[in-house]
Amino acid sequence: MTTTANSTIFNPTNLVLELDQGTIDRAWLESQTASNPTSRWQNYLNQVALAVFLPWLQTEEDATAKVQNQQPEQAAIWEVVNGTAIAIQDAKLVLIPSEADDIGELRVPQEWIDLPSWAADYYLAVQVNVDAGYVRVWGYATHLQLKQGTFNPSDRTYSLSDESLIDDLNAFWVARALCPDEATQAEIESLPELAPAQADNLIERLGNSAQLLPRLAVPFSTWGALLQNPQLVLRLGAARRGIATKTPVLQWLKQGLSDLSNEFGWRQIELSLSAEGARGAATADAVVPAFGLAKKLAIANQPYELKILPLEEAGAWRFELSCLTLGCLIPAGFKLKLLTSEFQDFEDNEVLATVAVAQLALEVDLDPGESLVWQIEPTPDNYQQEVLQF
Amino acid sequence: MLPRQDPIEIFSTFIQFDYDRFGGWATDTRLRRSMRQSLKNISAENADSFWALYWHQIWQQQPTSLAREHLAAYLQEICFWSATKTITGFSSSQYTVSDCFQVAISRIDKVLKGFDRERGFNLKSYASITFANLIRELLRQQKEIDICSDWSLLRKLSQKRMTEALFDAGLDPEIIESYILAWNCLKTIYVPDRPSSTRKLTKPDPETWSAIAKLYNQSRHSQLSNSAEAATSEKLEKWLLICVKAVRSSLFPKVTSINQPKPGYDAGEIVDSLVGEVDESLLVNMIAQEEITQRTQQHTDINQFLVATIQQLKPEEQKLLELYYALDLKQAEIAQELNTKQYSISRKLAKVRKELLMALAQWSQATMHISLTSDILDNISSLLEEWLANHYDSNHTEI
Repeated sequence: MTTTANSTIFNPTNLVLELDQGTIDRAWLESQTASNPTSRWQNYLNQVALAVFLPWLQTEEDATAKVQNQQPEQAAIWEVVNGTAIAIQDAKLVLIPSEADDIGELRVPQEWIDLPSWAADYYLAVQVNVDAGYVRVWGYATHLQLKQGTFNPSDRTYSLSDESLIDDLNAFWVARALCPDEATQAEIESLPELAPAQADNLIERLGNSAQLLPRLAVPFSTWGALLQNPQLVLRLGAARRGIATKTPVLQWLKQGLSDLSNEFGWRQIELSLSAEGARGAATADAVVPAFGLAKKLAIANQPYELKILPLEEAGAWRFELSCLTLGCLIPAGFKLKLLTSEFQDFEDNEVLATVAVAQLALEVDLDPGESLVWQIEPTPDNYQQEVLQF
Repeated sequence: MLPRQDPIEIFSTFIQFDYDRFGGWATDTRLRRSMRQSLKNISAENADSFWALYWHQIWQQQPTSLAREHLAAYLQEICFWSATKTITGFSSSQYTVSDCFQVAISRIDKVLKGFDRERGFNLKSYASITFANLIRELLRQQKEIDICSDWSLLRKLSQKRMTEALFDAGLDPEIIESYILAWNCLKTIYVPDRPSSTRKLTKPDPETWSAIAKLYNQSRHSQLSNSAEAATSEKLEKWLLICVKAVRSSLFPKVTSINQPKPGYDAGEIVDSLVGEVDESLLVNMIAQEEITQRTQQHTDINQFLVATIQQLKPEEQKLLELYYALDLKQAEIAQELNTKQYSISRKLAKVRKELLMALAQWSQATMHISLTSDILDNISSLLEEWLANHYDSNHTEI
């Protein structure tokens, strides 16, 4: 990549970090689980800023620095709010990435300022220029300064113009070393918790990914109450991403697998010969696919495989969990479970291994377009909740 | 350029450009009267630096007073030289010294806000680095804006800049509010669908336009203070193109200097009222001769301390500072000189500056009994920049 950064002179107090193609590609790939293009772009910019800044931070200043929120929660946050929290030794930073090239202001979403569990000590203004291949940290401010800055009701942000920011990131490290007790946070009032019914209602409403700006759709006190509960943030993110991350099982089986199916971990498998005779024939309005899907899983370091197999009758499906090691059995206590896309149970939706068995299986009848979520107990390593669409 | 000698001139005249060259000094009669009056009241000092500190003090108390204009007059040469020097580093710039000068002097508030009267060396040297940084950043931004398509450009702006551009274009606040909402709706909906090539976005398709219009019409009730009418896709497109135009022309506005004397605007009341509101004796005391002496002593101490600190740096670190500050080389050129990558230069430079900042902060804490805060460290960082620029400039005069 040719970078304009190479031919450009930056002011000496700016921290300019190189952004390479590999980082761009990885961030883009990982951002694909977002529910809509708006959230995907937000996710992407935050991933890029983080992927460049965090390693620098760990090498140059603080080896213990780490992202504050775990991966699923982080992705859920990027669905709806811009910014990434990083924990360093005894303080918390939030990166606020922006595409703005004029570095005129730092604009921080209210969530990062007014929610007690979200509020940080320092907020870093980060410019991301993917085409020129750089990430630039051009200023920062404390929570206290931002709280005294301008509040913009229209987009619910606190902003400070460039003149009011501290533009030398070095001042930050020197401050941490020489005046660690400096007051950085203004007082914040905590928000009342949401009643479960209210939370369900909100998640249903705001969990629709067509709602592009859920953070502005309800009063801040309500929105904030939702976001300060990590479980609810996860549920909101899952609800929103449910649509975009639906695994289109039937579509794949009809059209062949796309590259995307590999990314989700599924591969196509042949059905056993004895059963195949009746397949591929068109019934009145549906075609029974001639293939099934399989996905490798690891549970307690043992390899397993989950299969989804079409049965002879259109709309009938079989879920099969089996062990991949020769002669191995599924231990007692394992459970295979299916839920509706709203995470509700239904009749005969789970099967439990009461003794060690060769395979756990469930059969379901589904209408076209209907969706399911699968779960296994104990939870497989790297389990990612996915909604399967039939 | 004929340098100005008389304090009255220094604080009341402005550069006139003859195309791109210095054309002469024009007097602002309000400022001249104000300066004469002040000289009459305060007889003691004739030194420019005294008056610079004096007006800076008044500016801090009354940011909209004539003090700002006096200081703009005072910093004319500095701004002119910063513009001349910085623009020569940008070979391909289509902008003239006069363009850069106008933009930099119009951002004088950044200089005045950032200058730390207590500890800074002097306003001129601080202004010199601040103007140079401003101009460099502007030229860089202009380059970026020039290669962006209209629709990409809209993604590359802060809300502050967008609002200022619309304001400069002479639009009403209510209209600006609608345009800003439209612009935010575009940014929300029309995001790039690829990881790069964000500079070449084409015009949104009709489907995208109707999504933008839908979002606008949903949001306008809650986000606009006036009950604006619903907008169609066509209308939004028209508005956003006005935004693009406003931004493209606002970076280097073709206006005559805001500080040039305005014809027929030389009534004397402003001057008289200004003098009445400020407690003269208090100000004079604050910038009294002893304090200037003390300040000079303090500067000598800082100077000695930093020279000694730099001597203790590793030879390659000293070399790096010299290449950057004295020879004014770009980071890429330094990288070539030292046979390494530009990004490692940026990192190394940051590291050396951090070492110096740490040393200077500790020294200030110990010798001047300053209790440190992030804000004070920011000031100390500016002071360090100012010192480095000065130090290397006088070591290697006129390169």
